[in-house]
Amino acid sequence: MGLKRDVSLSAALSYQGQGPYWTYILHRIGGSALFIFFTIYILALMGVQAASGILANWVFQLIFLPFMLFHAINGLRITILDLSPKLIEHYRTAINIEWVAYVLVVAFALFVVLSNAFGG
Amino acid sequence: MATRTLPLSKRGFTFEVFMWAFTRFTVIAMYGLMLAGILGALSLSAQTGANFGDILYWAFFPNLAENPLGQVWMTILAKLMVIVFVLSACGHGVHGVLEILDDYFTSPSARRWSRNFIITYAVVASLIAMYVIWTK
Repeated sequence: MGLKRDVSLSAALSYQGQGPYWTYILHRIGGSALFIFFTIYILALMGVQAASGILANWVFQLIFLPFMLFHAINGLRITILDLSPKLIEHYRTAINIEWVAYVLVVAFALFVVLSNAFGG
Repeated sequence: MATRTLPLSKRGFTFEVFMWAFTRFTVIAMYGLMLAGILGALSLSAQTGANFGDILYWAFFPNLAENPLGQVWMTILAKLMVIVFVLSACGHGVHGVLEILDDYFTSPSARRWSRNFIITYAVVASLIAMYVIWTK
């Protein structure tokens, strides 16, 4: 028998899970973005010109890069905490450090994308 | 706050434990390969004075980028690195996408179909990627 949870979108959005919940949601969105990216990458490898064009498009990079970088940085935090269980009690501090690192990395990445797109 | 952790030896070697370990270790492999790719691109860029955008492009798309050092970069080692990266990403991604799909497809038949689809996708994508990377 299948499960039936009936959690509405509004109930999900109003859930007071705070930082850990939002990192969980953003990690999933980032993973889904990477799945789309991976599919386009395979198509580009096969020589589909449109796929190569999408990868090189700065708008695509601008939209996908923040989510993909979040997935990578959040994944690093999860891996570190998983492999060092003694650090789990500091998980909120780890999330705060993660946000600082993320903002710095994504700002730099977007700067590179935009300067490549408009800087010539 | 007290933390509850269970040593790996007491968890048993179930499918879930295996996939947990597999997902963690493939992602560690990917971090290592990313670092190696960026360092390789940085060392090559020193010869041409390329900007950081080019360096990232060479690091993450060595087989797609029209870089002036293409013949140097696309050595057997680079091809192997890209193949290992793609296989790691595919294995890591399959487990991640399955976890997401399992949360939304709750009936046994839908789960079976989504599982079959995503595993078939991963196998086909990996084979195409390996063939193209190795022969290009």
